[in-house]
Amino acid sequence: MRTGDAGVFYPDPARSWIAVAPVRFVATLLLVLLVYGFSIYFVDFDLGRLWSGLPKLAHWAAKAWPPDARELGVLIERAIETVAMAVVGTTIGVIIAAPCCILAARNITPSRLLYTPMRWFLNTLRGIDSFIFALLFVAAVGLGPFAGVLGIGLHSAGTIAKLWSEAIEAVEPGPLEAAALTGANRLKVISYALLPDILPNLTSITLYVWEFNVRSSTVLGVVGAGGIGQELKNSVDLLDFARLFTIILIILAMVTAIDQFSAWLRRRLV
Amino acid sequence: MTALSAADPAIRIVGLSKRFGDRIVLDDVSFEVAAGEVVAILGASGAGKTTLFRCVTRLAQSDGGQIFLGEHAIRNLGGRQLSIARGEIGLIFQQFNLIRRLSALDNVLVGRLGEVPTWRVMLRRFPQRDRQLALAALDRVGMLPYALQRADILSGGQQQRVAIARALAQQSRFVLADEPVASLDPQSAKSILSILRDIARERMIAVLVSLHQVEFAIQFADRVIGLRAGRMIADRPAAAFAEADHRMIFAT
Repeated sequence: MRTGDAGVFYPDPARSWIAVAPVRFVATLLLVLLVYGFSIYFVDFDLGRLWSGLPKLAHWAAKAWPPDARELGVLIERAIETVAMAVVGTTIGVIIAAPCCILAARNITPSRLLYTPMRWFLNTLRGIDSFIFALLFVAAVGLGPFAGVLGIGLHSAGTIAKLWSEAIEAVEPGPLEAAALTGANRLKVISYALLPDILPNLTSITLYVWEFNVRSSTVLGVVGAGGIGQELKNSVDLLDFARLFTIILIILAMVTAIDQFSAWLRRRLV
Repeated sequence: MTALSAADPAIRIVGLSKRFGDRIVLDDVSFEVAAGEVVAILGASGAGKTTLFRCVTRLAQSDGGQIFLGEHAIRNLGGRQLSIARGEIGLIFQQFNLIRRLSALDNVLVGRLGEVPTWRVMLRRFPQRDRQLALAALDRVGMLPYALQRADILSGGQQQRVAIARALAQQSRFVLADEPVASLDPQSAKSILSILRDIARERMIAVLVSLHQVEFAIQFADRVIGLRAGRMIADRPAAAFAEADHRMIFAT
């Protein structure tokens, strides 16, 4: 047996997992395989069908060229509508999130009793996609971007409030405690000592959610809730691939531009 | 003690005790700090210094005894009265606890938060009088030229000066400084402690400061209290503090 300098044998603490716990290793492996087995079974995974569908896709791709730019004006207007939906929807989210996030941040919540129900409420909003909210609102307020805006607003409220309250919880407690111990009330502490430190962070989160909302607004049209998605659905329904191609190019350009712009703004903030 | 002090002791701690479960953290601690006096508490980590401070600010409630800050019997206060009493305590922390993205001046104005109406705080429209108090406080600690610098770009020593200015702007009658120089170099530590001593004299503030460096305690405090495992084992004028006390406080 090779030993260290002092003639002592040190059992290696970093031996591989297979050697340390072979039963656990095999059990884990079996579990992972089982999960994959079931999942693949449930999704009807079938490469053969993909293979036979390929010519169809190729045919459509061929028909998509050259892109049809005759309605470019209308489509760009719809793209602008999409961004506008994200702006207004995110703003509604911010307005709902602002009071909620204070209740949902453990370090500043005025009531431990309301903290948990508020978390549940926010998780519910976050758990239901804008798309589903938009479906409901289309039924309630009619077709068009307004329904989409309401859907984005509700879903984003949950996301924004959760991310904000986490940012608030991550703040150093010392300066807040120092301010509170001067005899300042909660409103003073939050507005004077807390906000300046986290405002860049909150803004960055909001921009991020807005960016995300631009992407999700592009599909809201599929359920009739406004934006460029509505044009996209029309083109698919009519098998008008040249027009569809133009729409996809516009979406790509829009999303890329918004992402870059938002990332640039966020870099400047923090 | 200075010739200025006359009235009753400003901070009076009587038979204070505190336990966490079975562990006794403070055991029958009694001492006084007069207005204008600096009292240093010496003790190893875990001796109960921080718990003592937390009891005085009522971040923790002691199990027995009483704490008087001037006329306030701290243990019995609640709500509005506690807020008023706390407003008279200036706190200095080891980590300074400044709001990082605010200027030195804005941080000193935190000392005025208790007095200024909420709407003015929210709009950051402090009355002239409060701004003057803050500027004067900055000037007193030699930080006036840095008034508009962001707190997080100042050095540790500078940040602690701003924290002292915050306590001055608060017009506190009592200052509690919990290990105020533990994260500073010796040079800055000395200047911070001498500022604390000078403002105690000038404004008749009772200063209670916890330290773990004996030489600082002897040099800057009027009296030294030794704390070991929650028990007071020395309470002497700084000049009479002896090597034997030192060994007792820090013996393991």
